Amino acid sequence: MSTANTEIDSTVDFPVSTERFLTFMSDGLTIGISTNYVTEIITNHAITMIPLVPGYVKGIINLRGQIIPIIDIRLRMGKASIDYTDVTCIIVLNINDTNLGIIVDSVQQVVDIDKAQISAVPTESHQELINGMISLSEHSVLLFLDHEQLAKTIF
Amino acid sequence: MDNMLEMYLYETNTLLEQLDELLIEAEKNEDFTTNDVNEIFRIMHTIKGSSAMMEFSTLMEIAHHIEDLFFYIRENGLDAMDKSHKSDLFNLMFQSTDMLRKEVEKLENNEPLSNNIDSVITDINSFLEKISGKGASAAGSSASAPSADTASDTVSGSTSGPDFLPQGDYPQYIKVMFEDGCGMENLRAFMLVTALHDMDVPFVCYPADVESSSDTIDFIQEHGFYICPATAEAVDAAVAIIKENNNVETVEVFEHQKAPEQAPATQTASAETVHKQASASPAAGSPAPAASASSAPAKQSLISVSLSKLDSLMAIVGEIVITESMVTSSPEIQNLKLDSFLKSTRQLRKLTDDLQDIAMSLRMVPVSGTFQKMNRIVRDMKKKLNKDVRLTIEGENTEVDKSIVDSISDPIMHIVRNSMDHGIEPTTEERIAAGKPAQAEIILSATHTGSEVIISVKDDGRGMDTSKILQKAERNGLLTKPSTEYSQKEILSLLMLPGFSTNEEVTEFSGRGVGMDVVKKNVESVGGVISITSELGKGSCTTLKIPLTLAIVDGMEISVGDSIFTIPIANIRQSFKASKESIILDASGNEIIKCMDEFYPIVRIHNLYNIETEITNIEDGILIWVESSDKSYCLFVDELLGEQQVVVKPLPAYLSNFNIKDSGISGCTILGDGNISIILDILNLYLVSQNQY
Repeated sequence: MSTANTEIDSTVDFPVSTERFLTFMSDGLTIGISTNYVTEIITNHAITMIPLVPGYVKGIINLRGQIIPIIDIRLRMGKASIDYTDVTCIIVLNINDTNLGIIVDSVQQVVDIDKAQISAVPTESHQELINGMISLSEHSVLLFLDHEQLAKTIF
Repeated sequence: MDNMLEMYLYETNTLLEQLDELLIEAEKNEDFTTNDVNEIFRIMHTIKGSSAMMEFSTLMEIAHHIEDLFFYIRENGLDAMDKSHKSDLFNLMFQSTDMLRKEVEKLENNEPLSNNIDSVITDINSFLEKISGKGASAAGSSASAPSADTASDTVSGSTSGPDFLPQGDYPQYIKVMFEDGCGMENLRAFMLVTALHDMDVPFVCYPADVESSSDTIDFIQEHGFYICPATAEAVDAAVAIIKENNNVETVEVFEHQKAPEQAPATQTASAETVHKQASASPAAGSPAPAASASSAPAKQSLISVSLSKLDSLMAIVGEIVITESMVTSSPEIQNLKLDSFLKSTRQLRKLTDDLQDIAMSLRMVPVSGTFQKMNRIVRDMKKKLNKDVRLTIEGENTEVDKSIVDSISDPIMHIVRNSMDHGIEPTTEERIAAGKPAQAEIILSATHTGSEVIISVKDDGRGMDTSKILQKAERNGLLTKPSTEYSQKEILSLLMLPGFSTNEEVTEFSGRGVGMDVVKKNVESVGGVISITSELGKGSCTTLKIPLTLAIVDGMEISVGDSIFTIPIANIRQSFKASKESIILDASGNEIIKCMDEFYPIVRIHNLYNIETEITNIEDGILIWVESSDKSYCLFVDELLGEQQVVVKPLPAYLSNFNIKDSGISGCTILGDGNISIILDILNLYLVSQNQY
């Protein structure tokens, strides 16, 4: 992934406020997270369940000797869970030195977003883990994941 | 800079520990030997030197004054002091080493050093005056700041002590003084030396070993740095070069030949000072080579490594152990006959086992450091409480994991204090009346047993009055059943409940209400067990059983549904199949089983952790009788998978937000096939199950 990035960087001159976002689908929503926090994307990993934790914490995985907690982003946002399929992915994040894996329905693409264009979420449609939105072409809206909030735990 | 600070802290702490041991030992004999005095002098000198280099002036000042004091003692001999002086000296030394230690602690915690050290210094000075007598008091105090007072009057010569100047034929010598408090004088001097070399000025200098020895700092600070160029022309060139350097305060040129002639004139004026100076200058210079000569052979085979490096080494070794079993038990080669492969894997296993042992042993440190601290506590409390107590230490060379040593230091200290304060009879008469020797004894011992270290604190004091304990517990509402039903063991374990303190009064040392329960918690946090035995009138004994290491445990793998758990073998007493008939239900419907004539509750892991499993019938699964601390019960699991040595990994920090530690899980481990197994904390698991029902 990184080699592709440098290629683009060298050909196109981006405004300073541009940041790369990895977009993924969860319950029909397109959500983006800054690639600064993304370590890698894995699929089909065996998750070891942890007892006596909130339901959205699916357990832990062994990623090359590192133990990483996994949370289901659907359950975390209070949505219904679905069965995991072939396109279900775990995005491994590193947020302020906290390693965390999130389960998403599917991973979409990496897009460049001008951060100045991101608007706040209207209060009436406020969601706990979303801290901004932007409308892309084709009537689609991209939501932004609040990584700080994600790394915090609430009961 | 950080690295230097770390080195400094390590060195200073080691020296202070040495000093403490030395003082305790000396106090036992009620006298210093000449060796002791030299040793203290050397320690203080080194602390002073390195503190000055790091610009910790507080530490430097204290060390400096103690050094002066011991310099006096060394010069005048120990016989000059009478007994009361010596005991005063011991108190003074303990007090000032405490002060030093407190300052070093502040450095460790990144706090500013205190500026208010006058009281300690006044104490030291007044003691010095006392032992040196009224007449010599002037000399004593001037010794602490000799160069400042005298250098100005005797500019032309004698205080420079030409006798230490290098032999040779040179017309003049240059005395360079650096600015006060500029620090690292030896390196600055070395810079001068290099600059002069660069200019091709032939010369000799004193001290000559400025580059290699930091001990020269003090000498340069006090007496200056001497450069003796070979010719008169070179002197001028040298002076010009020296003046270009930073932090040089004064540059003075003296006639080399004239110095001895001038000396008598000034000597008469301040004979005493000169005598001081003359003897002080070699003293400041000589201990350094002597010290390095004596400690060099011992130090060369030791290096200090930061704990974090050892931790990462342990982590990697753990990975290798896991990877090794992943390779050798790989399913692809299970049914193949590979003779040479098997041979190699056996070799590999042996090597990894060795590697693991060595890596573990690196973290092992003797408990003597912790034990030696108790000497000091006993000594201090002995004085305060006016009790005659002897501390006997056994097995201080027993080795325990470094992290465990750190965490048992406080518990042991607390127990020793308790013994001193409450255990030992308040008066000698009481002891004699009870037919015991007048001097009480506290025995602190450490022994190895397989995978555990047993540390016990035993005193021959009053022992514990069980009826009193029971009454107190009843008053505090700690009893859960009628007081008549308590066994001796149960009564003594009441002592370790929160909010229990047998002593009515709160004393300076112990009995603040945060007593044994905190000790118990600390010990349990490193996987240890604490127990108290006592006999009224004969004394009591507190025993700590501590695992040797936390990093690797022998575990039993068990399965419940799809999950795999590890139970530390140390907690398992027995595993067995139970028949339906042997299960009894108590009043609230909980299952209980009888083993060895006692009844134990059954905890079903699948119920507790909500794990789906087909095995819910008590006859299909297996019961494991486990025990931790004072809790003993049976776990119901699907099946036993086998015994394995596992490397404990902490759970991710993210999960600790969910109080994962209180849900009966102590960590996790990676199995040979890459799967994760959760390590159960037998003690907490029971508490969780009690809360659930």
